[in-house]
Amino acid sequence: MKMELSGSEEIAASRQDLWDALQEPAVLTECIPGCKEMTEIAPDDYEVKMQLKVAAVGGSFDGKVRLFDKDEPESCHITVSGGGTLGTGDGTAKFTISELEPGKSRLDYEGEGEIGGLVAGVGQRVLKSVAKHLTKQFFTALKKHFGAEKAAG
Amino acid sequence: MNEHAKPFSGRYVSSDRRVREDTRFVAGAGHFVQDIERPGMLHVALVASQHPAATIEDIDASEALAMEGVVAVVDGNELSNAVNPLMNGLDTPEVRRFPLAVGQNRYAGEWVAAVVATSRALAEDAAEKVKVKGEKLGYVMDPEKAMEADSTPVHPSHGSNVLLDRTFDWGPVEDDFARSDETLKLRVTWGRNSTVPIETFGVICEWNAWENVLEVWASIQMPKYADQIARALGLRGNDVRVYYDVDVGGSYGVKRGIKHTVLAAYLARKLGRPVRLIEDRLENMRSGDAHGPERIFDIGVAFDRDGTINAMKMRALDNAGAYAGRAPFQLGKPIGAIVGPYRINSVQYRAQSVTTNKAVQEAVRGFGQSPTNYALETMMDRVAEHLGMDRIALRRKNFIRSDEFPWEIPSGSKYDSGDYHAVVDKVLAQSGYEDIVAERDRLRADGLCAGIGIAACLEPSGGNSSFEPLLNPKNRTSTWMEGSRVNVDALGDVTVTIHTTSSGQGHETLAATVVGEVLEIDPDRIRVVRPDSLGSLPGNSPVGSRMAIMLGGAAANAARDIKRQISAIAAHSMGVAPDAVTYAEGVVRGPDGRTVEWSEVVDIAHRRFHDLPEGTNPGLTASFIQQVPTGVALPKDGKAQMYPCYSFEFHVVLMAFDPVLAKPEIRRYIIGHDCGTVINPHIVKGMTLGGIAHGIGAALLEEFSYDAEGHLMTQSFLDYLMPSSNEVPEVEIVHHCTPSPFTEFGQKGSGESGYLGAPAAISGAIHDALRPWNIHLNKLPIRMSAISDAIASAKENT
Repeated sequence: MKMELSGSEEIAASRQDLWDALQEPAVLTECIPGCKEMTEIAPDDYEVKMQLKVAAVGGSFDGKVRLFDKDEPESCHITVSGGGTLGTGDGTAKFTISELEPGKSRLDYEGEGEIGGLVAGVGQRVLKSVAKHLTKQFFTALKKHFGAEKAAG
Repeated sequence: MNEHAKPFSGRYVSSDRRVREDTRFVAGAGHFVQDIERPGMLHVALVASQHPAATIEDIDASEALAMEGVVAVVDGNELSNAVNPLMNGLDTPEVRRFPLAVGQNRYAGEWVAAVVATSRALAEDAAEKVKVKGEKLGYVMDPEKAMEADSTPVHPSHGSNVLLDRTFDWGPVEDDFARSDETLKLRVTWGRNSTVPIETFGVICEWNAWENVLEVWASIQMPKYADQIARALGLRGNDVRVYYDVDVGGSYGVKRGIKHTVLAAYLARKLGRPVRLIEDRLENMRSGDAHGPERIFDIGVAFDRDGTINAMKMRALDNAGAYAGRAPFQLGKPIGAIVGPYRINSVQYRAQSVTTNKAVQEAVRGFGQSPTNYALETMMDRVAEHLGMDRIALRRKNFIRSDEFPWEIPSGSKYDSGDYHAVVDKVLAQSGYEDIVAERDRLRADGLCAGIGIAACLEPSGGNSSFEPLLNPKNRTSTWMEGSRVNVDALGDVTVTIHTTSSGQGHETLAATVVGEVLEIDPDRIRVVRPDSLGSLPGNSPVGSRMAIMLGGAAANAARDIKRQISAIAAHSMGVAPDAVTYAEGVVRGPDGRTVEWSEVVDIAHRRFHDLPEGTNPGLTASFIQQVPTGVALPKDGKAQMYPCYSFEFHVVLMAFDPVLAKPEIRRYIIGHDCGTVINPHIVKGMTLGGIAHGIGAALLEEFSYDAEGHLMTQSFLDYLMPSSNEVPEVEIVHHCTPSPFTEFGQKGSGESGYLGAPAAISGAIHDALRPWNIHLNKLPIRMSAISDAIASAKENT
């Protein structure tokens, strides 16, 4: 089933800092919900291992992430594809960062994907809200990352 | 007309007697596959494909094999090298099917590999760790797209998606169209639903190396199951022993897990341990290969202004799913009742079956008859609407009359008997039809949408599987026999055999009742057993509403043979001719009033060879193999005698719903039912009520629906909606009995009753309720959202 996802978030970080963080596997591993491992296999090419639970369905997801059409520090495209016990997912998204004021940026994202397998069949009713929830978790973690960095700095 | 012109009046047949099987089911003492434990048994979980079609390049099971309790992981390559393809009904040799996908999968959820472990839970955990690598392939979901020449073939080596495309012309169709006052066209679609039993399919296979026998316990309802297992595994027929004393927890056609069985059997032989495969709900729904017909009907009908239907052209396009199996034959059964209960002079029927990337179809209650009846009855409603004629009057005008039987329909089948007008009259009188109309009008005045649905239809029963040779000329089937044996033991007690499994149809009650009837002894004293397949007489399992006719016939005839033997032995002991004695309630009476008791005959038969008539074998036993009544020849010139018996049902349903919410509610449900002589009224009642519940599901709720990307969206009961006690109304049954001239007691089939007309009747009621807006909802199931959307847009446009 097809799915679209878009939104925008304000993050307490400069455009460059936000850009850097989104390119950093360690940060992404920390922020992506359920992400166990993110390994760089080539520049801008990663392998991810995730453990997720959607509705009654829980399981693992192994995928590939690729960043492309990068226009540092403003915009970037990302594709994710993979599968696991939960089902399959393929998607492409674009994110754009604009600096609102020093130390504060806005991240706009827009993407679409296709979900298949078990999760599409069983989780269809909750898939959209789960996606929103996971996205929210991601940004909460990202904001926390910058908050923590600030506190540490 | 025949000896059964009057209903059969029996001692036990038709009497109000308990269904003997009920006791064990109600007490929770059934004997199901899940109840069977074998020492050292292993369990299977399946790795499912994630895409509607993808190549299988590599299967990495290393992680799974390293897990606790895991014994083996087997893929389609290994399996297809070891077993033969599963049986294919049509002559389409390139449409090969194995239990596990080979080289590529063809629908989302199809089994790619099997994981065997010491428990099902461990097998499931390990299955999650099996990695399947491959490339996505093109796919097609829509049957009309699949027909197109440039569509992606599901089986590339078959060359196209067309499994079957055959046009039959029965009678002067074009002439009848030309001479008719009016013609009309319509299209209706039957959604993909099924019977979805509480018990999923399950099987245990065990290879007994010392006897060289494969032992099978299965939740099965399938003709020639043991033969198919032997063929697939390259075993001799007598190397396979299927235990028929396993209870099947619901079926109505779909319990045909041959792929499960061949897989489990292969694993059991390979591993030298018993192997159990029981589907979980997801496996059952998406990959149990047990979906029912999904069918588009295009109908043209030619009729006169007085309502006489002269001719019909019907095109039925069925979406068989990814493999052929037996599903395309579900386009064949309806040929035996292609005009329903009506005198239609000529018919053109085009039967098309195509492959798509959906799960495989299996036989479902009625074997394609209920979709066809829905199409026919919708046609009748449209003609009535077009002519401004009363729907019941139109049907009555076209019914075959009771004095016209046996009536041969254009496709070559003779209907045995019936009195359709009488059943309709009875229903209208007993239900107070005028009150129903008044109630509908009162509901309408209250601002509700209210409508009455009408359906008249047939249940062809006890057939010879003639659709097989009709649709596949290489098939030479002209018998669909059933056997039974009656033994009288040395203590004088009677035991009857059944050679198939029970899915709750009450065969044991049936066999005991008819044998009791013939021998005039209390059926409760008769034991009924189910020997395993190696100890069995030939049979074809309960399909096509046949057991009352076929098992009933076999058991009655075997009992008749016993009665003949008893009479002969007794006559000999009295020194009189066999035809000089009379038999009554187990006692034989001579012409001079002398009697010989049952126990004396048993003593002679079992101990005193010297007192037996010359040439008589000792022991009291008789077997009878019943041939299908009227089943004598192969089809000829595209025509066949498809079924010996035709039961009739007439539905009247009153529905009401709010025009905004549109949640359909059934206010009254009346069915008139004529299945000839009823052997056991409780069984027939249960069949009919269950069939109507099933029909409510098909009409309003149930559908295996796929999204455009090829994924099944209804994989669980959260999304695949079934009627509950909330949706199933109280049903009033009006009985009528027109006996069949071709069966032992005048009985006809009833295993599909209710289901065969309920969807048509419910659709008709909704249409009657929507009449103010002239809305036609041409696809089942009709969901409440479809009704409310249609009303809303109709309101916008006015």
